[in-house]
Amino acid sequence: MTGFVDRSPIGPDGRRRRVLVAMSGGVDSSVAAALLVEQGYDVVGVTMQVWDYTSCDIEEGNGTCCSSLDVDDARSVADRFGFSFYVANCEAKFKASVIDPFVEGYLKGQTPLPCVNCNTFLKFDHLITRMKELDCDFLATGHYAKIEPGIDGRPTIVTSDDSWKDQTYFLFTIDPEVVPRLMFPIGHLNKAEVRKIAEEKGLVVARKKDSTGICFVGNMGYSNFIASQVSADKLVGGNIRLHPTGEIVGEHAGIHHFTYGQRKGLGLATRKDRSESEAPLFVLRIDPETRDVWVGDESYLFSKTVQVREPRFLGAFEPGERLKVKIRYAHKGAYGRVLKREDGNLEVEFEEPVRAVTPGQAAVFYRDSQLVGGGWIP
Amino acid sequence: MAHLTQSPKPAIYLDHNATTPLDPEVIARLSAWALDWGNPSSIHQAGRGPKARLRDARASVARMIGANPLEVIFTSCGSESNNTALVGALSALKASGDKRRHVLASSLEHPSVKRTLEHLSEQGYEVEFVPANRSGLMRVEDFRARIRSGETALVSCMLVNNETGVVQPVKEIAELAHAANALMHTDAVQALGKMPVDLRDLGVDYASFAGHKFYAVRGAAVLFVKRSSPFQPLIFGGAQERHRRGGTENTLAIASLGYMCTRVGEVPERAKHMASLRDHFEARVLAEIEAVSITGGESPRVGSTSSLLIPGTDGETLLMSLDMEGVQVSTGAACSSGSPEPSPVLLAMGLTREEAQCSLRVGVGWGNTVGEIDSFVEILKKVVTRLRDLRGWKSGSSSESSADASTKGRVV
Repeated sequence: MTGFVDRSPIGPDGRRRRVLVAMSGGVDSSVAAALLVEQGYDVVGVTMQVWDYTSCDIEEGNGTCCSSLDVDDARSVADRFGFSFYVANCEAKFKASVIDPFVEGYLKGQTPLPCVNCNTFLKFDHLITRMKELDCDFLATGHYAKIEPGIDGRPTIVTSDDSWKDQTYFLFTIDPEVVPRLMFPIGHLNKAEVRKIAEEKGLVVARKKDSTGICFVGNMGYSNFIASQVSADKLVGGNIRLHPTGEIVGEHAGIHHFTYGQRKGLGLATRKDRSESEAPLFVLRIDPETRDVWVGDESYLFSKTVQVREPRFLGAFEPGERLKVKIRYAHKGAYGRVLKREDGNLEVEFEEPVRAVTPGQAAVFYRDSQLVGGGWIP
Repeated sequence: MAHLTQSPKPAIYLDHNATTPLDPEVIARLSAWALDWGNPSSIHQAGRGPKARLRDARASVARMIGANPLEVIFTSCGSESNNTALVGALSALKASGDKRRHVLASSLEHPSVKRTLEHLSEQGYEVEFVPANRSGLMRVEDFRARIRSGETALVSCMLVNNETGVVQPVKEIAELAHAANALMHTDAVQALGKMPVDLRDLGVDYASFAGHKFYAVRGAAVLFVKRSSPFQPLIFGGAQERHRRGGTENTLAIASLGYMCTRVGEVPERAKHMASLRDHFEARVLAEIEAVSITGGESPRVGSTSSLLIPGTDGETLLMSLDMEGVQVSTGAACSSGSPEPSPVLLAMGLTREEAQCSLRVGVGWGNTVGEIDSFVEILKKVVTRLRDLRGWKSGSSSESSADASTKGRVV
């Protein structure tokens, strides 16, 4: 599937090209579908039903993804434009490849990134299969990302024109072979423009709240979600230790309550005993074996190197190359050399120290605006 | 759908087990029936027309199913009829001091029977589901082995299965039930318009029917309760239906169901027409698409239903692909979100999850033509070939179908 692909709405045989659009029921994917209809493509909408949202306390349709009311919203957009729309049942696959690793990650002291797995195993695997089976030429999503020809002419993924919403961080596991078959119809727009188009087209979702956070967790919070998924004996508490002395300064109710760099909610009563001048404490490290949560001064949070496992690349990469690296979605990115190690994993040597390198998150590489690849922080 | 910008292909509707289109004669009469908008319980002039509609409909339904008009209770849907029959019979028995709490039902029942019985089992009833096998035909011996005289209060077995069209030996099971002094209910929702139904011959105490499976307006259904059989209402209210079902009657829908029942004489001819289409369809599919089998094909079936097992495909994708080509069929009972799960009926027959997932249900109706069937076969061949190619499916790659494939020696 690599190489140049003619993306015009009408094929050489005069037939309209068919695009499968992944629709969550939100404004972004709805506008993506609307734009494709307007451009003349033969659009087919699909929503993946991934999770039984009745089992958690999310207010339906309120900033979630793919709940039953969101399915109705996606369907109403399809009805509005008169294209076919289907619901694909992906609950089992979502549980196995997104929810379970998410829960395991927290139990291992990590801060997992489930959206990447959802993209890897559902949107850009399951739906790619569906795209072919339904005789579609392309798969489109409402991601804030763009596809542009690279130096060799092959389509590559580049950052969205809306740098605030850019979602390429979540796309580093995409198989480069499928990129020529992908479309991101709203990647050249910013969120305000997307909403404006939705208003102009009279889409019911125009004023819908943005989805924030992780769709299946909702209002219940991460730790309550984890607690709802595993038996209580797996969520044992432990000690909070001060770095570097190892002094026990408090207790906690389970490592799943913590993330690296966290300052609030440590529950340290001893804070008042400390002098006013003393700096605040931050989570530095979580040890799943001993269940110790290490805290200390913020200066210990900074590091110049990051290990990167299971690297994936969307295009050419020179070991030792200077690239911009994002270590979490909200990270602006920092320059460093991406080195290849003997075991096949990577190591990034940053030019300036980065704050709170967090196991379970991804390190994602960019050459200017081009998404080069990425991998997992152990 | 006010702003259609993409024109759908002409539809071929082959999902008549889900619901039927309105008969053209029903549509032609709707406005006239709607003019009788009064409440049939009213004593004044406005109540007379609707009261007459109700009376006529009740008489027509009774004639069609071999009942007395007094035995016909109008309800809103097949599910209500099933719920009312089971709960109404058992609560009436209990109220009369009857101590029997054992209930037998086939494992192929519709959720409105199954879930009602599961609910009753939480209320202290011992509910036993009689297992089925791959033929889809319930065996009388299996009921005989489980029925317990003096303990079994009620037996329920559907007349026509919604997935396979298999006609169950309800008459024999009813005789067995009565011999053990138990009551007998049959869910006959899938039978109307597909085969003659004579409740006197079947000998059941309760039977459920629904208008929207029989070309009438949705919202009218029937519960037959034999005159001497115990009964308590599920919906309490006014004096409607002789205190057996509260709620103002849906006279428009009831009139349409009654009207369709006046056409009972057409059923044998219509059934013959549907059977010829179904048989033509199955013959073509078996000859032209490799490794297909017909679930329940060796059992007695109504002539309108075909349950296909197509290895190398999955029902969900098949359904979407066919719909995009304008063909409307089904993979099994769809859940509320429209996202299909493998049919519980097929699983209860012993099909694997994989087999159930590559199953397709075709429900032929009165209005279908041989041209539509031929177009459907061509589209199905195209879609199945594409899906199998993408999956790298090869003849004999499924152990179930290798024998068929090798004896036919064909390559698609």
